[in-house]
Amino acid sequence: MEIIEKRQNDISIFKVNGRLDSNTSPRFEEKIVEAIKNGSNKMIIDFEALDYISSAGLRVINKTTKQLKHIEGMLILCSMQDYIKEVFVITGFDSFLPIVSTCDEALMKF
Amino acid sequence: MNGGKISFEFRSNLSELGKLHRNLEELGKSLGMSKKAVFQIDLAIEEVLSNIILYGYTDKAEHWIKITIWDQNRTLNIRIEDDGIPFNPLEAEAPDLECSLEERQIGGLGCHIMKSLMDDIVYERLGNKNVLTMKKTIEDT
Repeated sequence: MEIIEKRQNDISIFKVNGRLDSNTSPRFEEKIVEAIKNGSNKMIIDFEALDYISSAGLRVINKTTKQLKHIEGMLILCSMQDYIKEVFVITGFDSFLPIVSTCDEALMKF
Repeated sequence: MNGGKISFEFRSNLSELGKLHRNLEELGKSLGMSKKAVFQIDLAIEEVLSNIILYGYTDKAEHWIKITIWDQNRTLNIRIEDDGIPFNPLEAEAPDLECSLEERQIGGLGCHIMKSLMDDIVYERLGNKNVLTMKKTIEDT
């Protein structure tokens, strides 16, 4: 797994490459925690290059959503492959998380 | 592999998930499975394995988990055997998917995903082993 982080205005964008499983998700969580510590409260996670996600990855996303809500921020997910989206639907995560088709669309939500 | 069985053994360590993934990609290729089908099987197995590795042992010793896979007329059978404490994932409490974000508990989420993705799951406790057999009709590429 590889994470490419960039900032556009005051929005942190994380592009996750590869797999978010029980083994790699803690590293992903560290990155996000660090960004929040550094003052980020608006985040986009771009899943265009994500091949795999398990409940461990969902757990990080759930935690992040909660944390950002406490600091009046927001998390938006974008560019998921269909079979990844299905996991969000099965678990009901699509009901509380904004999921959009492209990163540009996500940027317009803020 | 038609009719034959293949087996993998994994140490009780999350770092083994990479190996699981590589093994399944190879299997998917040899059976002409779609990327989505490989993903779903990989995911169901990870949810079972991570539960075993994180919660299944009361000692710090290294344990082995055995996975056997065989194809039966385009239904993939996956058997997972471990020597951890008795645990039937079919009885794991389902997460409340309707509750608000603040109340949402994550426990049971992995079991819920596994049950949603597989067509059939049987749990048995045989001697000192948990034996879980999952079935999934496979989609072609």
